[in-house]
Amino acid sequence: MALLNRMDWYDLARTTNWTPTYVSDGELFPAGLAGDYGLPQDAWEKYDEPYKQTYPEYVKVQREKDAGAYSVKAALERSRIFENADPGWKSVMKAHYGAIARGEYAAASAEARMMRFSRAPGMRNMATLGCLDEIRHGQMQLYFPHEHVSKDRQMDWAFKAYDTNEWAMIAARHFFDDIMMTRDAISVSIMLTFSVETGFTNMQFLGLAADAAEAGDHTFANLISSIQTDESRHAQIGGPALKILIENGRKEEAQRRVDIAVWGAWKLFSVLTGPIMDYYTPLEHRKQSFKEFMEEWIVAQFERALTDMGLELPWYWEQFLADLSETHHGMHLGSYYWRPTVWWNPAAGVTPQERAWLEEKYPGWNDTWGQCWDVIIDNVVDGNMAKAYPETLPYVCNMCQLPILGTPGKKWNVKDYPLEYKGRLYHFGSEVDRWVFQQEPERYAGHLSIVDRFLAGMIQPMDLSGALQYMNIAPGECGDDAHNYAWAEVYRAMRAQRNAG
Amino acid sequence: MALFPLTSNFEGDFVLQLVPVDTENTMDEVAAAAAVHSVGRRVRARPGCILRVRKQGAEDFLPRTMKVAEAGFMPTETVEILWEAAPH
Repeated sequence: MALLNRMDWYDLARTTNWTPTYVSDGELFPAGLAGDYGLPQDAWEKYDEPYKQTYPEYVKVQREKDAGAYSVKAALERSRIFENADPGWKSVMKAHYGAIARGEYAAASAEARMMRFSRAPGMRNMATLGCLDEIRHGQMQLYFPHEHVSKDRQMDWAFKAYDTNEWAMIAARHFFDDIMMTRDAISVSIMLTFSVETGFTNMQFLGLAADAAEAGDHTFANLISSIQTDESRHAQIGGPALKILIENGRKEEAQRRVDIAVWGAWKLFSVLTGPIMDYYTPLEHRKQSFKEFMEEWIVAQFERALTDMGLELPWYWEQFLADLSETHHGMHLGSYYWRPTVWWNPAAGVTPQERAWLEEKYPGWNDTWGQCWDVIIDNVVDGNMAKAYPETLPYVCNMCQLPILGTPGKKWNVKDYPLEYKGRLYHFGSEVDRWVFQQEPERYAGHLSIVDRFLAGMIQPMDLSGALQYMNIAPGECGDDAHNYAWAEVYRAMRAQRNAG
Repeated sequence: MALFPLTSNFEGDFVLQLVPVDTENTMDEVAAAAAVHSVGRRVRARPGCILRVRKQGAEDFLPRTMKVAEAGFMPTETVEILWEAAPH
């Protein structure tokens, strides 16, 4: 029997907006889950997904993708790539798996909300496939690291991280809970798929796959590429929804959602991706600086995506572009100095050659972040390790939940952005973080940052051991210098030479 | 006498830090408590300088002998700790 071509039946098959008779429209699409934009039903029926795929096509393609990624893994399992990898690369894998794997399952729930509650039939169809994508990503990114758990306890954080109160995980959960777990279906399509996936993760996964291949880790490179191909499809769910909102006079609401999500995604990128690209990746494998990568792949592409859509650049765009040269250096210095509180081993990345590279890519680095590193290096060389670890908490932002930081040294510009709300003093790391809070204060006001929890007595005893216990970091899992301070030898030799001369 | 949390923004450092002080502490003691977490860790000591305290955004330093209880701080308020040439 001859089969009809897909496009002969696709539109009819997804015309699934029936007229309910047993329940009211409000019961079928509750405002909190479906969104309450006041648009007529036929406006949503104009939703036209740019990527049309049927379920049989999806299953066929996904099966082939899975077969490819799993067969590469099986073929390379005895290759000892993990054992022989640079410790900086292992840290990349650990940070990635912990921050992402379980978040993929959370994303499946967000996709499921669009699948069930979107008023747009086309979105429901795309999100059905998107939901299956995210389940696949969760499964793969737990299965692939599992082979390393017996070799390295930190790899266990691929599964464990999401259930802990480790500070970076609080930050990741706060952001993803905000944009994908507690928003209506249309907001999820704008904030998760358009803003975060189109703007950031799609490109991030491309870059990460290239880095993995460069580092010789073809299993990881194939895994990430396989995921990225799904990402590039389901990231397109939000575009047509934005178009409908803009055409129906709801541009302002759409723009606000984009502005909130893009800023939060940027802050998470600055702590997870910035240090990886500019400090953890061995110098000989670096193709671009983080700033160059962001400008070429994220900024240029996202600016086009926004303007094509008829949206404006976020109001803080100039600030964002300026921060590309600054924020991630502070995030790296912070996660390195507070390294016992992360589940990977940060690579310092500050040998004289690496510093020369940083100075070239970020003129003025030595006079700013370099000045802080000079003191850390002296302490490591002197064996004064007590001073190379922290004895208090960094103050974290009540929006992004990441340390409040700025440029140190000769261009010292660190600043708090405080706000008193209903008698409580909140602290923010930037004007934008504070602005996000002010858009909907009651949404965020009840949350306690890690510092708020410490001050509330929820962390006992009130010292590092209590903090590690609170963050569920067991002995053997604490982060420390990725290379066991071997990089400091060159500074020790330089000092000996100076003293001899 | 009561424990009082402040947020330290230390000149030359890169991050705000939590610094617990006492309501009876003077501003010099607040500066010293903040210095423990910055000087010799990520900021070099400056011989010939003392440390002064001011509220964020203020031009003037708070008097060195002023007590925390007298300064009108809110809990966790950010104070800036800056170097000043030592008086001769």
